[in-house]
Amino acid sequence: MRVVTAVIAIAAGVLVLAGYFLQGIFPALASVQALLLNWAILLTGMAALAGIFNLIFVHTDKIRLREKGSIYSAVLVIGLVSTLLFGMILGTENEAMKIVLNGVIVPAEASLLGILTISLLYAAIRLLRRRTDATSILFLLTAAFLILGSATLPFGNIPILGTVARWVSQVWALGGARGILIGVALGTLTTGLRVLFGADRPYGGN
Amino acid sequence: MADLIKCPSCGESNQPDQEFCHYCRTRLQPLTSSTKGADAPIKPGQLPTKKNTAELEPILPQWLRDARDTARKSAEDDAALAAKKAQAAPASSAPDLLAGLHSQADSDEDETPDWLASITGDTPKSRKAQAESPEVRWVELGDAKDFPKEEPPAKSETPAWLADINAANSKPDEKDELGDWFRAASSTDEPLQPAKVSPFEIPSSNDGTADWLKQMAADSMQDDGSGFNNKNEAFKAPSSSADTPDWLRQMNEQEDIKNETPLRNESKPAFDVPSSDTPDWLRAMGGVSEEPAQSADPFNFPGSGSTEPEAPVIPAVPDENMPDWLKAPSPVESASKPRKTGQLPAWLKDESNTPPEEEEVPVWLAETPTPVEPAAGKPEPFLMDDQSANLGDDVPGWLQAAAPQSSVFDIPPSEQPATAVSDSADAPDWLNAFKSVDASQQTPAFSLDESFESSAPAFTSDPLEEKSGEALFTEMPDWLSNVTESSSSRSSVTNPESIAPGELPSWVQAMRPVDSTPSRPVMSSSPQSSDQTLESRGALAGLQGVLPSVPGYAPTSKPKAYSIKLQASDEQQAHAALLEQILAAETEPVPIASFSALRTSRTLRWILAAVLLAVLTVASFAQTRIFSLPTDVPYEIGSAWQVVQSIPEGAPVLVAFDYEPARVGEMEAIAAPLFNLMKNPALTFLSTNETGALLADRFASGPMTSLNNGGGLSYSNLGYLPGGQMGIRAFAEFPSAAMPQLTGISSFSQFSAFILITDNADDARAWIEQTGSARGAIPFVVISSAQAAPMIHPYFESQQINGLVGGLYGSAVLEANNPGGPGTARAYWDSFSLGMLLAMVLILGGGLLNLGLGLRDRAAVREA
Amino acid sequence: MTFSLDLITGAVSFLITLLIFSYLIGDNPLFRIAIYAFVGVSSGYVAAVIFRQIILLRLFQPFAVAMISGSLLDKSLTLVPVLFSLLIFMKISPRLAGMGRVAMAFLVGVAAAVTIAGALTGTLLPQALGAINTFDMNAALARNIQPFEVIGSGAITLAGTIFTLIYFHFGAHPKPDGSMRRLGLIEIFAWLGRIFIGITLGAIFAGVYAAALTALIERIAFLINFIGKFL
Repeated sequence: MRVVTAVIAIAAGVLVLAGYFLQGIFPALASVQALLLNWAILLTGMAALAGIFNLIFVHTDKIRLREKGSIYSAVLVIGLVSTLLFGMILGTENEAMKIVLNGVIVPAEASLLGILTISLLYAAIRLLRRRTDATSILFLLTAAFLILGSATLPFGNIPILGTVARWVSQVWALGGARGILIGVALGTLTTGLRVLFGADRPYGGN
Repeated sequence: MADLIKCPSCGESNQPDQEFCHYCRTRLQPLTSSTKGADAPIKPGQLPTKKNTAELEPILPQWLRDARDTARKSAEDDAALAAKKAQAAPASSAPDLLAGLHSQADSDEDETPDWLASITGDTPKSRKAQAESPEVRWVELGDAKDFPKEEPPAKSETPAWLADINAANSKPDEKDELGDWFRAASSTDEPLQPAKVSPFEIPSSNDGTADWLKQMAADSMQDDGSGFNNKNEAFKAPSSSADTPDWLRQMNEQEDIKNETPLRNESKPAFDVPSSDTPDWLRAMGGVSEEPAQSADPFNFPGSGSTEPEAPVIPAVPDENMPDWLKAPSPVESASKPRKTGQLPAWLKDESNTPPEEEEVPVWLAETPTPVEPAAGKPEPFLMDDQSANLGDDVPGWLQAAAPQSSVFDIPPSEQPATAVSDSADAPDWLNAFKSVDASQQTPAFSLDESFESSAPAFTSDPLEEKSGEALFTEMPDWLSNVTESSSSRSSVTNPESIAPGELPSWVQAMRPVDSTPSRPVMSSSPQSSDQTLESRGALAGLQGVLPSVPGYAPTSKPKAYSIKLQASDEQQAHAALLEQILAAETEPVPIASFSALRTSRTLRWILAAVLLAVLTVASFAQTRIFSLPTDVPYEIGSAWQVVQSIPEGAPVLVAFDYEPARVGEMEAIAAPLFNLMKNPALTFLSTNETGALLADRFASGPMTSLNNGGGLSYSNLGYLPGGQMGIRAFAEFPSAAMPQLTGISSFSQFSAFILITDNADDARAWIEQTGSARGAIPFVVISSAQAAPMIHPYFESQQINGLVGGLYGSAVLEANNPGGPGTARAYWDSFSLGMLLAMVLILGGGLLNLGLGLRDRAAVREA
Repeated sequence: MTFSLDLITGAVSFLITLLIFSYLIGDNPLFRIAIYAFVGVSSGYVAAVIFRQIILLRLFQPFAVAMISGSLLDKSLTLVPVLFSLLIFMKISPRLAGMGRVAMAFLVGVAAAVTIAGALTGTLLPQALGAINTFDMNAALARNIQPFEVIGSGAITLAGTIFTLIYFHFGAHPKPDGSMRRLGLIEIFAWLGRIFIGITLGAIFAGVYAAALTALIERIAFLINFIGKFL
C-alpha cells in the first residue's frame, strides 16, 4: 500500500509539474494537468465535506454521551444541520442563506475580530514586560510608528511623520517581507520536492 | 483374576486395593490428591510447584532408608570436609542451562569444570575467551550442529523423548520422597530460585538419584560396594514399566522374539568384528581387553538419569528379596567387562585395564555421599516434585533439538526395552531410523548396560533389555557413528576450543557426584598413570583417565577461575559515572531562572476595552468629520487608480472576492472607492472562499449601488471556485472549464483586468503565483486588508501586481481624491484615527511603563 | 414597523454581536452559545455550498452525463473522481480510513506540484529579480525617485532581504566547548535579520490592528445604527 500511494502521489505530481513547464513541448500535458487538477478540486471539496461530517459525528457523540457542554454541541449541530438542509434544498444564493450570512456569520466573525483589537492592544502594552530585546523594542516602535502614520490629526496630516512611516513600511519592512517571502517559497519548494521524491508522505504512507 | 492388578513394572499381580506393588513398590493407584496433577507436564518456562511428598516417605524401600541412615552417620563423621563441599555443591549443581546469563555473583561457579577442562585440554585463557564467546550460546540456543561433538559426556541428561516417557510414568511420589529426605539431610534449607529451578528438573532428578546412589554407595562401601548394583537395578526398573510407550513395548516384544539368548552371551562377538564404519576409537576398543570399562558407568548413568523416577520404586524389594548382586561384593565388575570394552574409546580402554573390584565403582559412587553434600541436591526436593512429570517439557530446547545427533540419546534406548520398535508412530524419526537399522541387522546397537546386566542376575530376567542393548551396540546408528567419527576426527576430546567452559548445563553439573572428596582415589590401582587422571568434576567425576588422550598431557592444576563480572577500568567506570550524572541531571527539574509568569491582568483588559469602546462609540455616535482624510497618494494606490480608470467601458473584469466575512466592513470600505473609479465594466465575480459568493452579492447589492455611476455596474457571480491554488491554476489555464458558468471567456488573458479583494496574503500569493503565466499583460490590482498589505507589497515592488490599495488608509486616500460614492471610509475615519492614536499612545506609554517594570523585576530577580 | 428580512437579519446580527462582545467581560455561556451557533451555521453553509457547487455540479452531473451518453473514456474519466471521492469519504471511519490514503496521495501529489511550480515561478524567481531591480534607476526615475534615494533604499531593502534569509539559516558548527553556534559573520547578519523581521512584523501588527479596529468600528456603527432605527 505504501508503494502504491507513493507511486500515485509522485506520478500525479510529476504530471502536473510537467504541465507547468513542458506544455510548450508537449501540449497534451496541459490537458492532462487540467484533468488532474479537476479531480483534485473535487477531492478537496470532498475532503472538506468529510471534515464537516466528522464535526457532526463528534458533537453528536458528545450529545449522546451527555458530556460537559453538550448543550453547546446541540446548538452547533442544530445550526449546522438546519443550515445544510436549507442550503441543499433552497440553494446557497437563497434569501435565507443571505440572512444566515448577514445575520450570523458576518456579525459573529466581525465581532470576534473587533474583540481582537482589545487583545492586540493589551498584548502590545505588556510585551516589554516580558521581553526587552532589540527585536521586541523595534517591533513595538515600528508598530506604534506605523499606527500613528496611518492616522491623521484633526488639523491635517503630520507631514514628516507620514513620510517617515511610509518609508519605514515600504523600505525597511519591505526588505524583511521579501526575505520572509523568499524563505517561505524555499520552504514550500523543499517540502513539495520531498513529497514528490517520496521522502515525505503526509498522506499516511510512512 | 479380574480383581487382580498386574504391576506395570514387575508384572506381578497385586490386590486391587493396593496402592503400591507388593513386589516392587511401584505405584498401582492413581496419585493422591495432594500429588495429583504432579504428573501433568510442565510447560516450558513454567515454574515448578513445590509439593509436599513427605507422606510418601514410607514407600521408600527399606534398603534405601537404611542407606540414608548410614549416610547421615557418615555425614556426621565427615562433617568438616563435607560441609565445604556442601557449600560448593549446590552452587555447581544449581546453575541452569543459561549459564552464560548467570549473575555476576555466580560467576565463579561458571568456571569450567575439571572434566571439561580435561576434555578440552585448554589453557585457562582460552577457556575464558570461550566462556564469553558467542559459541556458548549454541548450547543454550540448541545449535545441534556442534552439540554432539562437545557434549557427549554432558548429554547424559534425559533426552526429550525419554523425558516424555518419564512424564508418562510420572512417579512424582518417589521423587518427593527423595526430596524430603534430601531436605532432611541438608543442614540448611535454602530456597531455590525458581528461575534456576525450572529448567533443571531433570538435573535435579539425576542429582537426587546420585545422592541416594551415593548413600547406597556408602552402604556398599561397607557392604562390598553393592551400591553399584543398586544403581544398575535402578536403571533397569523403568524398562519394564507399564507406562512405557507402545513403541517401546513393541520394541521389547520384537527383541523378545529376535533375541532369545541373553545379551551378555552375544555381546562379545558383536564387538569382535567391528564395522568398517566404526570410528577408530571404536575399532581400538574392539581389541581391548575384556576388562570392564569403568567409563561405561558414566555412559550408563545418564541413561539412568532418565529412569530415575523409577529408582525409588525398584529398591522397594524387601531386604530378604534383595538380589545377590546387591549383597555380593561388586559383582558387576566381571560382568561389565564384555562388549563394552570393544566399543569404548581409547581413553576408556585404559580404564578397562584397571582392576575390576575397585574400578567398577566410580569415585562418585564409591565415595560415601554424606548427607551434607547432598546440599548439592537442595534444589532437588523442590525440583523432584514434578520432575518426572515434566521431563519432557523441561528438557531444554537445545537438547531436544540436538536429540537426533546427540549421543546422549543413544543410551536411553539401550536402557529402555524399546530398542526393537520398528515403526512406532510415537518414536521420533531418528529413532525409527535407528530401529530400522536394528531390525535389519538384528543386532543390538548399544549395550552399555549389559555389563551391569550381566553382572547382575536380577536383571538378566529381563531379556528384552539385554537384547535391545545388544542390538543397540552391535550396530552403531548412523547418527551416532557420525558423532563419534566427527568427534574423533576433530579431536574434540583433545581440542580445547571445542567446549566452552560456561556451557556446562546445570543438569550435568547437578549429576556430578564430584563433591564427595574428589581427591579420594578409588581407582587407585590403575597401572597407567598417564591416563589415570582422576576426574574430580563434571559428569565423569570419579573416573580415571577417561578423557585425556593426548600423550604427555596431564591436567596439572585446577583451571583458573574467571569471573564474568564486568571488566572495566577505572577510567571506564569514571566515564560511566559521569554518564549517569548527566542522565540524572537531565531528569532533574531545573528551576526557571527567569521571573515568575506574568499573570493576565483582567483589570487592564477591562480598562482598555472600556476606554476604546467609549472613544469609538462616541466618535461613531457623533458621526463627526473632524479628522481630515489623508491626501497624499502612495505610489501603489496611484498605480491602482490608473489601472482601474484605464479599464474601458464594458470590458470584462474579473473580480475575486477572497476575504472572510469578518472583514467585510473593511474590505467593502476599501473596494467601494476603487470601484467608484470604474467606467461601468463587465464585472465577473469569483471567490475561492465558500462565503465569497454571498459576500460578492452583498457588495454588489450594498456599497456598489451608491457609486458615482448610480449602481450601473453590471456583474455576473460565478460563485465558488474550489480547490485553493489548484482551483486557481485550473481557472487560469481553462477558465470556462473550471467555472462552467463563465461564458464568453476561453482564456484568462481575455479579461481586461483582474482585481483581487483579499484579506489574506497567502490568498494573494496564490493568485499571483498561479495566474502569472496565464495573466499575460492584463493589469492586476489587489485590494487588500491592512493586515495583508505589508506582505503583498513586495509583489508590487517586483511588478507582479500593478496596483495595491491596502487598508482603510488607502480607501481614505481614494475617497479624499475622488469624493462621492458610499463614503464609508469617511464615516469610519474619525473613529479610526482616534482608535489609532489611542493605540499608539497606549502602546508607547504602556510599553515604556512595562519596560520599566520588567527591568525592575529582572533586577529584583538578579538581586535575589 | 414591519418585520422585513432586513429587520430580522439586523436583529439576529445585533443579538449575535452583543453576545460576542460579552466576552469583553469574561467568558460566559452566552458567548459560547453564540460561538457554537456561529460555527454550526458556518459549517452548514460551507457544506451546502460544497454539496451544490461540487458534488452536484462537478461530480454527479458530469458522471451522470457520461454514464448516459458518454464514451468509455468519458465514463472512465468521470468514474475516477467518484471512486476517489468515496475513498476520501472513508476517512470518516477510523476502520476504513486507510482506504482513503490512495485518494489523499493523489491529492497531496497534485498539490505539491502546484505549490512547487507556484513558489518557483511566482515568488522565488520574481522576488529575487525584484531584489535586484531595486537599484533600477530607470524605474526609479519613472517614480520620481532620486538616484541616491534609490541606492539608499535599495541597499536597505536588499540588506533586509539577505539578512532575513540569513536569519533562517540554522546551520551551525560545533565549538570547542561543545556548543553549537553559527559562524560569527552569519551570527551578526542573523541578528540584523532579526531587526528587519522585527520591523516587518511591527508593520504587520499595525495592519492587523488597523483591520481589527476597522471591524470594531463597523460593529459599533452597526449597533448604533440598529438602535437608532428604534429610537
